[in-house]
Amino acid sequence: MMIPACPLADLPRGEAFRLEIDPPVTVFHTEGGELFAIDDTCTHQDASLADGWVEACWVECPLHASKFNLKTGEVDAPPAKLPVRTHEVVVEDGMVYVKLSTAAPNLPHCVARKLVRISA
Amino acid sequence: MTSPSLPDSLIATLPGSFYTDPGIFAQEQERIFESGWFCVARSTDLAKPGAFRTVDVGRESILVARARDTSVRAYFNICRHRGARLCVEESGEVKRAFQCPYHAWTYDLNGKLVAAPNLTKMPDIGRTEYGLVSVATREWLGYVWVCLAENPPSFEEDVIGDVVMRLGDAESIERYGIDNLSVGKRIVYDVKANWKLIVENFMECYHCATIHPELTEVLPEFADGFAAQYYVGHGAEFGEEIQGFTVDGSEGLDRIPGVAEDQDRRYYAITVRPQVFINLVPDHVIFHRMYPVAVDRTIVECDWLYLPHVVESGKDVSRSVELFHRVNRQDFDACERTQPGMASRTYAKGGVLVPSEHHIGAFHDWLHERLGTHQQQGRGVVSPGSPSGG
Repeated sequence: MMIPACPLADLPRGEAFRLEIDPPVTVFHTEGGELFAIDDTCTHQDASLADGWVEACWVECPLHASKFNLKTGEVDAPPAKLPVRTHEVVVEDGMVYVKLSTAAPNLPHCVARKLVRISA
Repeated sequence: MTSPSLPDSLIATLPGSFYTDPGIFAQEQERIFESGWFCVARSTDLAKPGAFRTVDVGRESILVARARDTSVRAYFNICRHRGARLCVEESGEVKRAFQCPYHAWTYDLNGKLVAAPNLTKMPDIGRTEYGLVSVATREWLGYVWVCLAENPPSFEEDVIGDVVMRLGDAESIERYGIDNLSVGKRIVYDVKANWKLIVENFMECYHCATIHPELTEVLPEFADGFAAQYYVGHGAEFGEEIQGFTVDGSEGLDRIPGVAEDQDRRYYAITVRPQVFINLVPDHVIFHRMYPVAVDRTIVECDWLYLPHVVESGKDVSRSVELFHRVNRQDFDACERTQPGMASRTYAKGGVLVPSEHHIGAFHDWLHERLGTHQQQGRGVVSPGSPSGG
C-alpha cells in the first residue's frame, strides 16, 4: 500500500516527517540526502523516533539512546532488543510516498496491547 | 540608629541575630538572592553548547547551560513532570538534551520538552508550555548573571550601577577588557561565616595593617585604614619600591593594554551587591563570587584573570596569585573568628563601626530596604516577620 506522506520540499535534510497512521511511521531525510522510512515507535518503550537524533543512517531514540539503523531497522544496543520495520520510500512528482511493509511490527508491550484491543 | 548613647565616632552594626538567625537568612534568600541579579559562572565555564553548571540561588537549584545558538540559558533545575531534580552534577556537558533520570522526560538546550514516554499519545501537552521554566540571564565582564524574579530589576541600575557608584563610570572597568581575559587560577574557599561578614570585611580596610602585612606592603596607604571602597574613583597606589601586585612586590605579568595611565600602579575594589567583589590591578583582575549556603556558611569562588597569552604561555603567575590568596585566607579566617561571636549575648545589639567603616552603614541600609526591616529609635531593629514591632 502506497501512502502519501508530504511534499519533498517540506522535508529538508536533517528533518523527519511523522505519518499519523497506526502504528505511526516516520520518514527521515538524512543530512546525506537519503530518504528512509521506519516504524516511528521505539521497540523498547513508547517513544517517537521522529523526536530522536539522526547521525549518518542511524536514529537514536530520545529516551534511552538505543539506535536503529534507518536502512535495515536493526538496533545497536539495549534497552531496545528488537528491530523496527523498514518501509520503502518512493518520490513521485515531488511527493514522498511510503510503501508499507507487510511484516508484523515490533511494538513495545503497551502499544502492542492497545493495537490488539482496537482490532479485537 | 540604635542606642542614643553612642558617641559621634561610632555607628551601630546589625544586631548579632542577623548573622545567626536561619529565619533572617531565609528572608535574605527570598528577598535578595532570589529577587535580584546573582552571578553564577564564568562564561568560559560554559564554553560549548551543552556545557552546563548547576548553582543554588537562594533556595532554588538553577541549571545554567550554553544553548546551540551559543546563548546562555538558565532554568529551574526541576522536571516539569513530578519535580525530580534534573541535573545533580555541579557541572558537565550533555550532547543534546537534559533528561530526567526518573521518567525520562527529555528537554533540549532551549528548555523545550522534546520527548517523553507516550508523549505522542498526549498531543495536548504543549512542548514549550511544559518545557523547563526559564530564568533571566545576562552576560557581562565575561560572567553570567541570572535573576529568578518574574520581572527582573534593571541590570544596568543594580549591577552596572554598583560599579559606577564605586568607580565613577562604567568606562573605567571596561578598560580592563575583563570578558577577554583568561582564568589563570581559580580557588574555591569554604568559609564558615555569614555572607554579610564577608561583604563587610571586603568593604573596609581598618583591619588591613593588622591582618594583611603583604597587601599593606604593596599598598602602603592601606595602613591608614581607609579602603579603596571608602572613596569614589580612587585606586590605592602601589608603594614606591613596588614593581607589581605580587606577594613580594616583584614584577607582575603583562599589563592589560586598555588600562589608562591614571589607573596604572593602582588597586581598585568594587562590591557588586549582593555577592560579587571585583579587584582591578594593571596586569590582572581578581573576581570573587559568593554562594551563601547557610546562615553560617558561604562558598567563595575566586578567579585570577590574566591576558590570554599570559595563561596560554604558562607564565608563572604564582607570586601574583599568592598575594590575594593570602589576603583571602586572612580575611576568611577573620570572618570565621567573628561568626561565633555573633551568637554571644554581648553582641545581641551588635557592635560598632568606626569612621573609616561608616560607609558599611549604606550596605546595612540597602539590606534593610530589601528585607523590609526597619529601625526604631532606641529600640533596635525589627526582624522580618516580627508580630508587632511597635
